[in-house]
Amino acid sequence: MKLSMRLHKSLGRFKMSIDVTVLGDRVGIFGMSGSGKSTLVSMLAGLLEPDSGEIILDGETLFCSVGKINLRPEQRRIAIVFQQHALFPHLSVRNNLLYGYKRCPAEYRSIDFDTLAEVMKLNSLLDRDIANLSGGEKQRVALGRAIMASPRLLLMDEPLSALDDSLRFQIIPYLKSVSEKFKIPYLFISHSLVEMRLMADTVLAFESGAIIGQTSSEQLARNRMSASPVGYINLLKLGAPTAMSGLFAYPWGASSLFLSTGSDRDESMAELSSKDIILFKQHPEATSARNLLHCSVRSLFNSGRKIGVELECAGNTLIAEVVQDAVDELGITEGSTIYAAVKASAFRMLPG
Amino acid sequence: MLLGDSDIQAIWLTVRLATIVTVVLLVVGTPIAWWLARSRSRWKGPIAATVALPLILPPSVLGFYMLLAMGENGPVGHLTRALGIEPLPFTFWGLVIASVFYSLPFMVQPLQNVFESIGNRPMEVAATLGASPLDAFFSIALPMSLPGYLTASILTFAHTVGEFGVVLMIGGNIPGVSRVASVQIYDHVEALEYAEAHRMAAVMLIFSFLVLLALYAWRPNSLKMTRRD
Repeated sequence: MKLSMRLHKSLGRFKMSIDVTVLGDRVGIFGMSGSGKSTLVSMLAGLLEPDSGEIILDGETLFCSVGKINLRPEQRRIAIVFQQHALFPHLSVRNNLLYGYKRCPAEYRSIDFDTLAEVMKLNSLLDRDIANLSGGEKQRVALGRAIMASPRLLLMDEPLSALDDSLRFQIIPYLKSVSEKFKIPYLFISHSLVEMRLMADTVLAFESGAIIGQTSSEQLARNRMSASPVGYINLLKLGAPTAMSGLFAYPWGASSLFLSTGSDRDESMAELSSKDIILFKQHPEATSARNLLHCSVRSLFNSGRKIGVELECAGNTLIAEVVQDAVDELGITEGSTIYAAVKASAFRMLPG
Repeated sequence: MLLGDSDIQAIWLTVRLATIVTVVLLVVGTPIAWWLARSRSRWKGPIAATVALPLILPPSVLGFYMLLAMGENGPVGHLTRALGIEPLPFTFWGLVIASVFYSLPFMVQPLQNVFESIGNRPMEVAATLGASPLDAFFSIALPMSLPGYLTASILTFAHTVGEFGVVLMIGGNIPGVSRVASVQIYDHVEALEYAEAHRMAAVMLIFSFLVLLALYAWRPNSLKMTRRD
């Protein structure tokens, strides 16, 4: 997907001004609430008219103030998944799913209903009323409804914000399937860096109605490490644990980690903050931290007043944060080896 | 026979009038209510106030102005003469037009309320899923508004059944043309036929009570919808 936007819009005292071209099928728009993300979504979908500018999607002009072009929302084939599910309450799950499908010209229909119902695990819900669905189910139906319309671009406007933490991470695999299974490019809008890293490759950082940078989601997380109260969040893919002297040993790449919480899943994700990793120049003879990893330093990067240290531990990557004095004292340079200590309780398992 | 022939005729005329007025207002009231619910125009206030006028205006005032408008020298009178139609005052269709204005807020306000409560989002979603505005209205907004339509129709029908002042001003008191149930009762009383007046009044009373009972039993809040700020 190639999306070019040159847009100006004033809403009262709020002013938006954007000039950007973005390439990729998994694009994120990151910004705090009130930064104008939803206004942008409305303008892309044709629900709000920009004051001036143009929008070009894959070579087709959707809006051009000079050329007096403004395709109606129903002509754009851009679907939206909102924060609130916005399902049609008078229609069953099946008829919600088919609403856009029926209105999509036959030559554009690319999604098979049965495949969608299976991937989204909706088969048991098809004949239910909307009122009888849980929050997570509703959001899955809303996502399925948008996919069934075979859009050429799907806008996901904070689709996880209304869900609680445990549901949020259960829904993410379904959101990912939009690109992976159904080959629909998407714009994922969120104020959560972790969601951005799970959902987007390229990220447009948004602030006060302007795009302040275009980068990878990984780079964005590194840039924001010192500014974020939780630092950089390492996302670790772990295997099935085995209980061991009051803790749980999880396979982690070619290595293993001790965590204080168990899991009955074969695969799980854990978060580890860059602030919770302590670095030692030499092997500390004894430490209360249950994980002591022998690592090599792959690179160093600056993030505000902090230094990020990218470590390689048995084929895995970890980011730790330190201050400049620590870098000097420990003699951390690219290629040097170092020990990283992490408490078993520092990890946070992602639900789902 | 409990009711006389003229009574039956008056009731039948009333039901016919109320049915036609309700159907006309369903068609006319929907776009007005939709516009009032969606518009941010500076005309919204004046239009809403105009629609609500019959709620507080004495029916005789409304009837008087309509009589002037429909009369031979009024704008509507000129139009009907140009079209070769008989003057509207003291005809059934004149009564229909007057009643449409008189009952307008009873249709528009409940519909406006239900349209406002639905909000923009469902229509926006429908549009992004490929529905044109008209398609989205009939497939989404209309079915979601059915409770409001039912309330509005019942109130409009009942209100038209109950009108008196406007009927007298515009329709007069012509059997089979404009002598509706409320006028028939007035006639009975004038002629000191209290027994007949009692029977007709009882029919009206029971009808009105049943309508309100049905509305309250079905939706306790629906009557509040007619009076809003």
